Amino acid sequence: MIQVDQLTKAYDDLSRGRFVAVDQVSFSIGKGEIFGLLGPNGAGKTTVLRILSTVLSPTSGTATVAGHDVSTDPASVRRNIGFVSNNTAIYDRMTAWELVSYFGRLHGMSRKQLQERLEVLFDQLRMNEFRDVPGGKMSTGMKQKVSIARAMVHDPPVLIFDEATLGLDVLVARNLLEVIKALRLSGKCLIFSTHIMSEVQRLCDRIAIMHQGRILDIGTLNELRDRHNEDEFEELFFGLLSQYEDGRHGEWNEKVEFQTPPPTKGETSP
Amino acid sequence: MRSQYDSVTAKTTASDKPRLAAIGLIYVREMRDQLRDRRTLFTIALLPIMLYPLLGTLLLQIAQFTRQHTTTICIVGSDNMQGVPPLLEGEAFSDEYTDNASNLKVQLRSDDDLEEDDTITEATARWVRDGTFDAVLIFPDDFSEPKSSKHDQNATVQVLYNVASDESQIALSRVTNILGKWKAVWVGRSLEASGIDMSTLEPFQLDDVDLAPERTREAAFWSKMLPFIMLVWAMTGAFYPAIDLVAGEKERGTLETLLCSPALRSEIVWGKLGAVASFSMLTAILNAGSMLVTSSLVLNQVGVGGATVGAPPLVPMLWLFVALIPLSCLFSALALAVAAMARSSKEGQYYLMPLMMVTLPLVLLPMLPGMSLSAGTSLIPVTGMFLLVRALVEGQYGDALLHLPMVFGVTAGCLWLAVTWAKRQFENEAVLFGGQEQWELGLWVKHLWRDRQPVATTAQAYACGAIILVALFFGRLAATTVPDDLAGITKMILSPQLGMILAPALLMSVMLTTSIRTSLRVRLPHWLSLPMAVALGITLHPLYLALGRWIEYTYPVSEEAIQAMVPFVEQIETVPWLSVVFLMAFIPAVCEELAFRGFIFGGLVRQGGRLRAVVVTALMFGISHGFLQQSIAASCMGVLLGWIALRTGSVLPCILLHFTNNALSVSMSRLTDSGLPGIELILTSTKDGPTYQPLWFLLSIGLAITLLLYFASLRSPVDESNISDISPNPTSPQVASQATVV
Repeated sequence: MIQVDQLTKAYDDLSRGRFVAVDQVSFSIGKGEIFGLLGPNGAGKTTVLRILSTVLSPTSGTATVAGHDVSTDPASVRRNIGFVSNNTAIYDRMTAWELVSYFGRLHGMSRKQLQERLEVLFDQLRMNEFRDVPGGKMSTGMKQKVSIARAMVHDPPVLIFDEATLGLDVLVARNLLEVIKALRLSGKCLIFSTHIMSEVQRLCDRIAIMHQGRILDIGTLNELRDRHNEDEFEELFFGLLSQYEDGRHGEWNEKVEFQTPPPTKGETSP
Repeated sequence: MRSQYDSVTAKTTASDKPRLAAIGLIYVREMRDQLRDRRTLFTIALLPIMLYPLLGTLLLQIAQFTRQHTTTICIVGSDNMQGVPPLLEGEAFSDEYTDNASNLKVQLRSDDDLEEDDTITEATARWVRDGTFDAVLIFPDDFSEPKSSKHDQNATVQVLYNVASDESQIALSRVTNILGKWKAVWVGRSLEASGIDMSTLEPFQLDDVDLAPERTREAAFWSKMLPFIMLVWAMTGAFYPAIDLVAGEKERGTLETLLCSPALRSEIVWGKLGAVASFSMLTAILNAGSMLVTSSLVLNQVGVGGATVGAPPLVPMLWLFVALIPLSCLFSALALAVAAMARSSKEGQYYLMPLMMVTLPLVLLPMLPGMSLSAGTSLIPVTGMFLLVRALVEGQYGDALLHLPMVFGVTAGCLWLAVTWAKRQFENEAVLFGGQEQWELGLWVKHLWRDRQPVATTAQAYACGAIILVALFFGRLAATTVPDDLAGITKMILSPQLGMILAPALLMSVMLTTSIRTSLRVRLPHWLSLPMAVALGITLHPLYLALGRWIEYTYPVSEEAIQAMVPFVEQIETVPWLSVVFLMAFIPAVCEELAFRGFIFGGLVRQGGRLRAVVVTALMFGISHGFLQQSIAASCMGVLLGWIALRTGSVLPCILLHFTNNALSVSMSRLTDSGLPGIELILTSTKDGPTYQPLWFLLSIGLAITLLLYFASLRSPVDESNISDISPNPTSPQVASQATVV
């Protein structure tokens, strides 16, 4: 459903000169798969997801979503995705119902279709109590639910969640994760970014670990554990990060790194 | 700084056709959203509806206060007025001198009324200060005695009043009025007593008859005032929704939600533009309407001004809508484009202020005395539309109809540009998401040096143009007199050309780019294009002269300006021909082309800015010429030069074309008088100076078209428009290390 090939995003930055936010990232995600992008703040996760949702365009490389190229056919891509991020807020002066149906209408759904779909969605996400509450008066959890309903209103095959659980309390976050699990069952392709490791461990079919614009490793949880000889996922993650940081001033060869067990720190320097 | 994400603008969204249904949806949502906001409703609807009536009531009250307030006046020394025409009748002014005696209360006082150890000066001053009396009139002891004339001085009447008190000021004006009338009667009597006929004092009477039709007379004031108020409100009415709908949404994060929805960028722009324009129009209509209604009521009541300010004629004012709709859309599109640069509502306000400063003069211009609709003024954006509407309101339909195509053409052009700009802004991710970083001078200077590129960046190109234009402006202010010797003329030409045009471009090229040659676009084009450029200069020159004449006909040069140039022109005729060609053709061609078609063009043409490069350099080139008539001609020339620069990818053909054109201009009279064989077939002498023969004129246009076709068929050797603003040779250590990784 999603193919990303050598995706790069760079921009000029006052303090750093040319800054590469995403550096030749490649991965692909299939139907019914939950793909997690895990990385610390500033790793480039949001940039990758913004490119996939066509809000940003890549400097080089390609990305296709549901068969449409993000740079040449962004309108079709947008019709096939639902995008939820920290930055996609909801309107303060629109009620939950109005907002979701507005985006449904933008997707070209008819009123009748929309009515049925909204009833289902509002039931499913348990949003009926605040149907007519305006966005400005909602709690963070309610807002997040509305955002998810907004992204799912046209029943897209691909869902992109960018740090969707950030700032949610445990209860709401848990609820959200249930929703994500349910989406997998209905065959959706789902990509989500987070820096919370437990979420990744619980949900993801495959995981990509990102740092400083590059993907350090991709695989299922078990593959990653085997490859790096580390059962504790958190250790594995930090190990990978610190190796990369030590290595990037010398010669870091990712192929070697992926195939052989991780050498100790002393061996990485040339 | 907006350097972040500068690399790519969304490429394809523009090609998709916007759907009307989606635009409608967005429009309705934005309208409803704004209408649900109490603040918007207050400023747009409630404020104008309340404001004008409130102001009107206040005005009425002040007027009534001035008319009906009873003024108390104390007169000291009324006993001293013997033997003069009577001012008072008992304890009141004589009816002869007052319009409305009922609102004047007079009390007479003399020294006898004072308490002990109180002088009259202190007492009167105290009375006025503490408000016992609004004014005190003091007639001195020697007022009516003839001996007062012995002092070579006339008697003085003192009026004491207090400027800090409104009542006192009104009292002063009433007293002055009464005393004036009294004096006139007094003078009349004295003259009559000495046997002079009173009628000799007024040999004639002035009877002014206004022949303007009644409607024009009434409309004159309103047709100036109302469009102004309406346009100012249309501007203000566009600004706040524009800030809220773009910068505000960015701040709240809802813009990204909309951007990742299937709505196209163009649909978003059109929908938002519609909403902003609606609010702009609504604000303007409500304000102008409320003001019209209130002022007609107030003016009827007060009746001030009489003939000059009648009640506004309501029906002709409907013509205002003709202007309001396109101008509201224009302001809205501009506001939207500018607001897109802001990251928050607060920033939006900072950005819109300059926009207001730029557009306000265009609205103020028609208010100047003597401005009316003409071929020249109809070409000025906004102003032309304003004047057209004024003509319509005043009922000059013929005039309006004549200039209608021009005004509408200009307005439509501006509208198209503004909307295109707004759409571009929405397709530019640098504008939508860029620049969260802090700006710091040191970092910025480092960045300029570290990230130097072979060609100027767009920002550097604009900066260079601005530096040149500002330098020229001050240079012109400094040079006040036209020199009358060769040395002076040389200095007058060389110092702006070398110091203010070439030097900034050259300096920036040396310091801010890695290649002087590339940044100035000095590269060899196809060899044939060089002689072709010279030929184009020769064959287009007749047309260029004709253009110059037409411009001078449309915007006549003032006599003073012509006179001021006479010594210069005379001096030039005596200078050796080669020096003239060097000074007025070679130097300008090289300096101006290297700056405008070299450095600035190179910076503007990148990132797909072909049209931008041609148009902006032409405008800068035009403005650099200082006075209007030359600027227009130069701008036209600039478009041609820009196009040649684009086709050939080099500055050299432009220099040649520019040189040929200027050289011909300064050599025409010498060529005509040269007696070269066959020259009379091409050139002829007229009283306005040498001109081309009509046959050559036609022939040369034909040749010029052929030459232009040659240039059109050229393929630019390098396509610079693909160059992005991102440094192609990253030098920062971080990226360098990445390069080894790959």
